[in-house]
Amino acid sequence: MMNKIKNNAVYSELGYVYSWLSAGIVVSACLLIIIDIVYLGHCAISLDFLIKEPNASAINTEAGGILTPMIGTIMLTIIGTVVAFPFSLATAIYLCFYSKKGMLTKAVEFAIDVLAGVPTIVVALFALTIFTRPEFSFLSTMVDGVEGSSRAYGKSFLVCGIVMAIMILPFVIKSMQEALKAVPESYIEGSYALGATKWQTIVKIAMRAATDGLATGVILGMGRIIGDTAIVWLTLGGTLRMTGNQPWYEPQNWLSALQNTGSTLTTYIYYTSPAGEGNNYTVAFGASLILILIIILLNAITMGFNFVSKEMGKK
Amino acid sequence: MEEVLVKIRSLNAWYGSTSVLKNIELDIHKNRIYAFIGPSGSGKTTLLRSINRLNDLSADFRIEGLIEIAGKNVYEKNDRKFIEELRKGIGMVFQQPNPLPTTIIRNMLLPVKEHYKVSHNEMVEMAIMNLKNAGLYDEVSNRLNKTALKLSGGQQQRLCIARTLMLNPGIILFDEPCSALDPISTYNIEELLLQLKEKYTIIIVTHNMEQASRISDYCAFFYQGELVEKGQTANLFINPKAELTQKYLKGVI
Repeated sequence: MMNKIKNNAVYSELGYVYSWLSAGIVVSACLLIIIDIVYLGHCAISLDFLIKEPNASAINTEAGGILTPMIGTIMLTIIGTVVAFPFSLATAIYLCFYSKKGMLTKAVEFAIDVLAGVPTIVVALFALTIFTRPEFSFLSTMVDGVEGSSRAYGKSFLVCGIVMAIMILPFVIKSMQEALKAVPESYIEGSYALGATKWQTIVKIAMRAATDGLATGVILGMGRIIGDTAIVWLTLGGTLRMTGNQPWYEPQNWLSALQNTGSTLTTYIYYTSPAGEGNNYTVAFGASLILILIIILLNAITMGFNFVSKEMGKK
Repeated sequence: MEEVLVKIRSLNAWYGSTSVLKNIELDIHKNRIYAFIGPSGSGKTTLLRSINRLNDLSADFRIEGLIEIAGKNVYEKNDRKFIEELRKGIGMVFQQPNPLPTTIIRNMLLPVKEHYKVSHNEMVEMAIMNLKNAGLYDEVSNRLNKTALKLSGGQQQRLCIARTLMLNPGIILFDEPCSALDPISTYNIEELLLQLKEKYTIIIVTHNMEQASRISDYCAFFYQGELVEKGQTANLFINPKAELTQKYLKGVI
């Protein structure tokens, strides 16, 4: 009757090998990319590379540095995150604590999922039609169109930052929603039992308990902004340098810089890659190396954040 | 004559269409410990949570009947302010200790800080007094500014009791406070409850019949949403009248 014994040990071993191999492939792919970029890009890195503005030249020594693209990446990340943060947090709070299970909630969640699936180039294209309307010229500059009709240029750091914020909204909301959902029910009930209002419960208890998760959501959004190319290309212009009043780094010209075009590391990489006009792949790999370093740094910050708060919990 | 603090009359409650409390009639005396016993799903926790209206958090909960605390109907009004005031006056301690992920002292101060304008020093004094009342102060006095999560389960539970004392409640509800604790911590908490009843009225839900017989003055046995038998604990344990109670005390159901 039960004389046939299944050889589960074999399956167990196979499962082990399979998962080990998969993990190995993931790690080696990651390492290979990093090693490749370090190998091809390290010779481009120098102090000058970091502090000089780029030039349009295919010759290594004439191409200048990546100062403005780097600043561009940082500026966009800041604008995008600052714009997206309050909306994401409020939406996540609404979905977690206020919405009832009904059509409206379903509609909001559906919209978030759809927005997450829209390719960034489509978002950018849509944004151009909005932000070229003359009403929005304060975000970029006014240009004279044909037959005297004026339109906004629709390409600037401000416009691009806002579009980035829209692009990251669904990801940040989802991540924050998960973080808030993970707050133990016992905290919430305990808070109500102490006579706290709903708002006190959300702000003082839930948000505090979910700080790690909320921060992870923000950093996830930052990562997406740093990595995006299509939105930059369409709504920031992808010009090599800052095009506002010069010199752009002087405070009185900052507003003008924000209202004008520029580039980020990603568009600079595209420009200097063999597919772009710059065609200078050493520089492209150098810029890639810096980009990867920024992303590694961001991840390290997330890890450090989680580590610190865990230690705080243990102390 | 013992003063009745909580009066429950013809109380019925439902989750959706499932009836969970059936025609409950109960008097809870001031400065006594009242234990609710019964198997899982008998409605004792639902009744406990009806007193501070914590069941209101579930959307499909419905309740009819009367719960009066010191002559005031708990379900009189439905506005938030009324419910929050009600909950401020009723302490509650849960099955799982729920200190917040912050320091011991902040756990103590948070409820007062959120509800009242009191100077920091005064609050800290209150906190120390209540930690002493909860028998925890000597164990934590040198680490008030360290996280509460590193305390043992029993200490965490006593911290939660101390925290609930900060709002000076008239009644304290205990929802199986010892079921996640070891015997020594359980003993400590039971001793604490016996001390606390000098100042507070205590209602405790427990699965542990020995616990009920050790600490409670009154006891009510629930079965499938009905209050089967109630009375002074000594009487109920020695001489149960209903057949169901006899069976439960023997461990048959």
